Order: sequence, then structure tokens, then C-alpha cells
Amino acid sequence: MTLLEVEGLSVTFGGVAAVDGVSFSVEEGAVFGLIGPNGAGKTTCIEALTGYLPQARGRVCFDGRDLSGLPPHRRARLGLVRTFQAVELFDDLTVRENLRAAANRRTWWQSLGDLFAPRWHDDESAIDGALELLGLTDVAGCTPPELPQGQRKLAGVARALASGPRMVLLDEPAAGLDTAESVALGERLRAVAAAGVTVLLVDHDMGLVLGVCDRVAVLDFGRLLAEGTPAQVRTDAAVIAAYLGDDAVAPVHDGARR
Amino acid sequence: MTSVILFALLGLGGGAVTALLALGVIGEYQASGVVNFAHGAMAMLCAYCYTELRAHGRLVLPVVVLPHRIPLAAHGLATLPAMGVTLVYAAVLGTIVYLGIFRWLRHAPAIAKVVASIGLMLALQAVVVIQFGTSARPSPRVLPSAPVHVLGATVGRDRLLLAVIALAAAAVLAAVYRLTRFGVVTRACAQNERSAALLGWWPVRSEAANWAIASLLAGLAGVLAAPITSVTPSTMTLAVVPALAAALVADLSSFTIAAAAGLLIGVGQSLCVKAATSWTWFPQHGVPEVLPFAVIAVVMLARGNRLPTRGEATEGRLPRAPLGSRPLLPLALFAPATALLLVVTRSGWRAAVIQSVVTACVLLSLTVLTGFVGQVSLAQAAFAGTGGFLMAKLLAHAGVPFPVGLIVAGAVAVPVGLLVGVPALRIRGINLAIITLGAGVAMDAFVFRNQQISGGLAGVKVAAPRLFGADVGITGAHAGDYPRVVFGLVALATFVLLAMVAVNLRRSATGSHCLAVRTNERAASAIGINVAATKLLAFGLSAFIAGAAGGLIGFQQGRLSPESFSIFVSLMLLAITYIGGIATVPGVIFAAVVLAPGGLGFTALERWFQLGRYQPLFAGVGVIVTAILNPDGVAAASRWASARRARARRPAPIPVAATALAGAAR
Repeated sequence: MTLLEVEGLSVTFGGVAAVDGVSFSVEEGAVFGLIGPNGAGKTTCIEALTGYLPQARGRVCFDGRDLSGLPPHRRARLGLVRTFQAVELFDDLTVRENLRAAANRRTWWQSLGDLFAPRWHDDESAIDGALELLGLTDVAGCTPPELPQGQRKLAGVARALASGPRMVLLDEPAAGLDTAESVALGERLRAVAAAGVTVLLVDHDMGLVLGVCDRVAVLDFGRLLAEGTPAQVRTDAAVIAAYLGDDAVAPVHDGARR
Repeated sequence: MTSVILFALLGLGGGAVTALLALGVIGEYQASGVVNFAHGAMAMLCAYCYTELRAHGRLVLPVVVLPHRIPLAAHGLATLPAMGVTLVYAAVLGTIVYLGIFRWLRHAPAIAKVVASIGLMLALQAVVVIQFGTSARPSPRVLPSAPVHVLGATVGRDRLLLAVIALAAAAVLAAVYRLTRFGVVTRACAQNERSAALLGWWPVRSEAANWAIASLLAGLAGVLAAPITSVTPSTMTLAVVPALAAALVADLSSFTIAAAAGLLIGVGQSLCVKAATSWTWFPQHGVPEVLPFAVIAVVMLARGNRLPTRGEATEGRLPRAPLGSRPLLPLALFAPATALLLVVTRSGWRAAVIQSVVTACVLLSLTVLTGFVGQVSLAQAAFAGTGGFLMAKLLAHAGVPFPVGLIVAGAVAVPVGLLVGVPALRIRGINLAIITLGAGVAMDAFVFRNQQISGGLAGVKVAAPRLFGADVGITGAHAGDYPRVVFGLVALATFVLLAMVAVNLRRSATGSHCLAVRTNERAASAIGINVAATKLLAFGLSAFIAGAAGGLIGFQQGRLSPESFSIFVSLMLLAITYIGGIATVPGVIFAAVVLAPGGLGFTALERWFQLGRYQPLFAGVGVIVTAILNPDGVAAASRWASARRARARRPAPIPVAATALAGAAR
């Protein structure tokens, strides 16, 4: 079943088309990769899909529902949750509290109730599950500034998962991780997908993206250059010419084998 | 028609002062990213310096206790020498202010910059009040005021000259910034300090020079304004509000637009006065003060963004909001201790305890709004006043139980809070502080000074609170029975209940969402938090707490007057809460007990050392020091230290870097 359907997505910043008529669709439970050189419009894509760029044009359907005009928090509540390239955790809260803030939703009348009888979900299995999946159980009591960059990135992913999403959009989760950690992250992302959460993955780590994703879309200068299975994309002439270059093909195979 | 032209021309005088102040505000902002709320206070100090030089030939230093009058001449100086000395004085003042305060806050979060400049404003004002008192000072004219005829109206030449001076200053500044090496260096340092340093420019030097120039303009504004406005510690200090409006119209960057906007605001304010004299339906008071606020609100709402955009720098660290393992313990200790104190103290000391408790209630409104959600509000006294005055009206003779009265007082303040909160959905940081400052001034001038609401000089009588038919008011049956213990307990119970609401908020899921919004609005919305609703909830709750506290102030004073809720009360409240620790209940308790005007610490200072009048000075200096050295505040800092010690005993996390090294070794 198609979970996310994007049609003719365009974003312009003062006359410059950052994303230009991009269309693709993501099947439920899949890991979908979005790659492209710097400035190709990957992060802009995520921003537009999650409602951060009200000026974005085109149609975004999530679970059969048109998302046009919905603000970010409404899209998140429908289950479309993003992470950030620059981590952006809540530094005042411990890692576990960061996840808790995401796991507990509040309507305004529930918030008024909180003033007199503060309540939390007793069931923390989603939080424990997300912590465990990303290997953060031991550092759950630390605040983000106490953690190294790599773990902060993972905490950002864990926070997105704790909010009970149907689909997560991960903006370069592997930046700041070494190769071994990156491979481990890939395995975890497969586990996330296996648990029923669809993943859209933006990353520079070719080994990670081509090794983990079911399908991959390649952006260049805001346009969709190619879309298909990793094997198709890897051999696509336009992609090789525009992005990977002849030399890059070999290490990609290497990464995928591991 | 002639009279319209006359009022428009008269307005040029005030407009020119606004324009000159706006130029300085922009200069300071361009140099170091600080919107200096104390700019008007600096002009005020210079105006006092000038009048003292003219009258007695003595130079006034902004210090207390130490010798602060230096005789320069045996008698008063002439206009030009006095002006020259004052301008040098102003430039030195600006340099010292920059080197001593704002240099250290370059990368601080908006709230630290705001409270530091408010601290400076309070401190300068306190110094002048200590040295000169609060009555207006006469000032001899500076510019020739021979009448000239323009379009049928006759007006003093000085008004036109003032406008010319303001426009000329703007033109010179614009040229200097655009054309000279100094201007280029300033802009380079403002945009990227590090790159500028790599090119061999020392940002501190150019920034200090900019502050000197900006302050010199403030001095000029002070000297020129002195003959046409009244020189008092508060009027010229608040002249910064229209100046901020003009600076915002110019987007805090264009000198020429700011000067033009300043002149127009002055003309508009003058025409409001004209309208009030011509039309009976036109409000008689406060419209000139509302005008700058309206300009600020329109400019900001037209420019703001709902969420900060990608790449916008996240600010530095905010005051911590530790919860502790037993969050109600401070209340459990404070309540019985205070009750005991109420019983054992008498008259003056008991009044001080009550004052501390009542102030603590108001301060809680800042904790939930500024502490938990990071929204800097300078309009808290306006919320309190709304609650107090409306409760006094509504319950004049109703004889309802006091809890109902306080709930009514809180409830009527909520719409005002939400109204002030709406701009906060699009505006953040320093800009929000500016708009709430404008709102506070507008409320004070337009609503609280309105005699029909505040009852003029006599004030509004507030009926004594009743509970189950018994009088629980502050005044007893006979004269010696004041203040009564029972009212102290009523106030204490109110505080405990309000504080429990604040603690409940902090430890609930909603509280974690508040802190999330405070830290990072983009990330908060990414996990499904409704940022707008969270902010409005905080503004509504804050206004409710402040309004209820305003009702309590009404019961405490028996009669309410606008002075209880002036803009300076709001500034003082923010300052002392920030010193105590703005994001925690213990911080509020510390601020209310030790620092509040009229509270326990104040009374001790007054009774034992006769130093009560120094309280505003201590608060002003204290908040500057706190902003630079200890942004968590006194109470939170001590708790944070103990929490860190506890954390240090736990095993440290295994850093990813170590695994990375292991991976590399393989």
C-alpha cells in the first residue's frame, strides 16, 4: 500500500527553484532513500513534506489524506515525523525526557488538566523500545550536551520513533558516525521498517543508503534524476554522470556487501 | 487647519528626540546585537548632567556613596561648554556600558540581553532618584526659540532646528556607515566577528566606538529634550519606547528611515493631543503613548515568521529549570516557616512578610511564562492591574468570598494575556520584549491612568476579603490591629496553591512541551507539539496568576492606584525574578523574600542600615551581574550544582568517539 505520495513538489526561494516538480511515492513499511549532492534539495524536500515551508507547491498525500495547508505539528500527529540535520534536541531535558515529551501528546484541555493533576502515559514501552533500538538505554539519564555528537544524532532518531510515527523522515542520521556505527544504524533502520514504521532516509553515506533502502530517489539541482531499486540507481547512466562519478562506483559495491 | 499645522510642527520637537534616540538604538544594535532598553535612561542621565552643569557647574557621576559631584566651575557653565562636557560624558558612559556589560553578552540568549539592559535602566534611574529625587528639573533653553511663521502657524524656531539636527545626524551616520572604513569594519564585525578578527580587526574596538557614538547621540537627545519635555527620572527613560518603534520601522538598520519614522511618530503623538482637545469622543489620555505601541505591533506582525526558519541560529543557554526529586519540598518548607513568621512578627515586619508573599504570587506569573516557555514579558504588572482594578469594580459591594474574587481577578486578566500572547506566535526573543514593553506602557497610560477606571488620585477602594461570612482582610476592627495574621495566611494559602499549579505544570507532559518550545520551536513542532497553543496556554496561565495576584494586592492595599502597576513595576519584577532564578519556584521564593521592594530583605535593609532606597539600585546591578555570570539565578544554580554532584557519582556514558577509535584500530 502506498503511504506517502508526492506529486509535483516545488519550492522556490526568491526565484531559485530549490525543489522543482519532484514526484515519488513510498510504500508502507519500506525504507526509501533520497540522495543527491550538496544543495540538491534533499533537506528542502523534508521541510516541504513536513509542513515547514508553507510556500511549497504540489500535492503531498499521506495515508490517502491531502496534507496541503497543515502545519508541522498536525502532520506529526498524523504520523509523519521528521528529524533534523543539526540534531535539535531539547537540551534542558534528559534523553528519556526528550522521548517522553514526544510520546505524550496533549490537547489543550488535557493541558489544563495537567495544571491540577499532572499525568503521563504509564506505558513507557515505546520509549524503552526506541532507546533500546538505538542503543541509548545506558545514557537515557544524560542531557544531550553530555553526549557525543553521534549519540545525539541517534537520540534525535529515537525521539522521532517515540512519538509513535507511521513514517519517519531522517535527515542525515549517519553524519558524525564512523563506518561501523553507520552499518549498525542501517541494521537498526531495517528493524524499524520491520516493526511497521516507514522510513525516508536522506544521507551522504552511499554505503548506508544503497545498502539499506528498498528504493532510492536521486535529486540533482532540485529535480528528480532517477528513481528505482539501489541496483537500478547504481547503474543509471545519468546518476553516474551527475553525481557518483566513475570512481565512486567501486566503494559503493564494497559498502553494500558489508 | 492652522492649528493642525501648529500641532504637527510642535510634534517635530518630540519627534526629533525620538529620532535621535532611535539612531542610537540602531547604532548599538548594529555594533553588538543588543537592543538597549536603557538608551532612554542614558539620555536621562545626560540631561541631569547637563542641567547640573548649567545650574552649578558640577559634573555628576553615576555613582552613589562615593563622591559624585565634581565641581568644574564656581558657577553654572554657559550652554556650549556645558553641552560639550555632557557629550564627552555621554561618550565615556557608552564606552563603559559596553565594556562593562554588553561586551560579555554578545552570544548570550535574548533574555540575558534584555534583562541586562533593563537592569542598567533600573540602576541608572535609581542613581538619579537617589541623587536628585523624582521631581522635575527645570532646564534653560538650548536652541533659539524665536517664533517663525510656517503655513499660517506660529511656532518656536527650536522645533524646526531640532528636526534638522535629527535628519542631519541620520544623514551623517548613514554616510559614515556606508562610505568609511570604520563603517565597513563595524558591519563586518557585526556580521562575522571571527572572520573580522582573522582580517586583523579587533571587534571590541569598533564596537566600543559605536557605543560611544550611540551614547553621544543619547546625550545630545537628552540635552536637546530637556527644555521641551520635563526632566524626570521616568519620562525620559520611557522615551525609549517611541524610539524603539522608530528603530523597528527601520528594521534596526537604516538610520535615515529611523529618523524619518521618529519625526513622524512625534508629529502623530502631537496630533493625538490636538485630537483630544478638538473632539470630545477622542480619548483624553494615553493615545500618544499607545501610538508607538501600535506602530511596533503593526511592524512586527507584518514581518514575523511563524516558526524560525532553517539556519536561523539557536540562541545560547537559557536559565535552567531543574525539577528536583521532591518538587513540592520547597513549598512544604516555605509555608510553615512563613506562617510562623506571620504569627511571631508585629506591624512593620509582618507587613514585610505579607508583601513578600504577595510579590511571590506575581513573580510566579513570570516563572510559567518566561521561565518555562521562554517568552520574555514586560507587561506582567499590566496583567496584575487588569485583575486588580476589574475585581475592585466587579466586587465593590458584592460581599463574595475572597477565593471567588481572586478567581474573577485572574479570569478577567486572561483575555489581556492572550491578546499580548498573540504577537508571540510570530515574534520571539528581544522583539517580543519590545512589544510587551510597548503593551505595558500603553496599558498603563491608556487604561490605568484613566480616571474612570483607576479613580484618579484617590484610587479605587477594594472591599475587604470575606470567607464564610468572616472578615479576613488586612485591617482589623481597631487601628492597632494592622496588618492581621489572618490576611497573611490568606495570601500564603493563595501563593501555595498558585505555586502548586506551577510545579504541576513543570512536572507534567505539558511542562515538558513548554520546555521543548522554549528550547527549540522547530523541533517541538516536529514531534507534534502545538507551539502556538503551548505559548497561548502559558500567556493565559501567566495572566491568570498575575491577575489573581493583582486582586491580592488590592486586598493588601485596600485602595488601588496606577502606581502599583506601572511599567517600572513590571521591569522590577522581571529583574528580581531573574536574579532569584526565573524558571523555578525556589527562585521565586528567594526573589520575593530577599529582593522584593517592601519585602523582608528590603525591610531589613531599611531598618538596620537605612538603605531601603538603594533597593532599585541593588536590583538593577544584581540583574546585570546575574545575566553575565550566573544566568540560572541564585536558587537554581545551587540546585543545579547539587544535581551535578549526584550525576558525577553515576558511571559516565561510553562516548561514541571511543568506539570510533576502536573501529579505526581494527
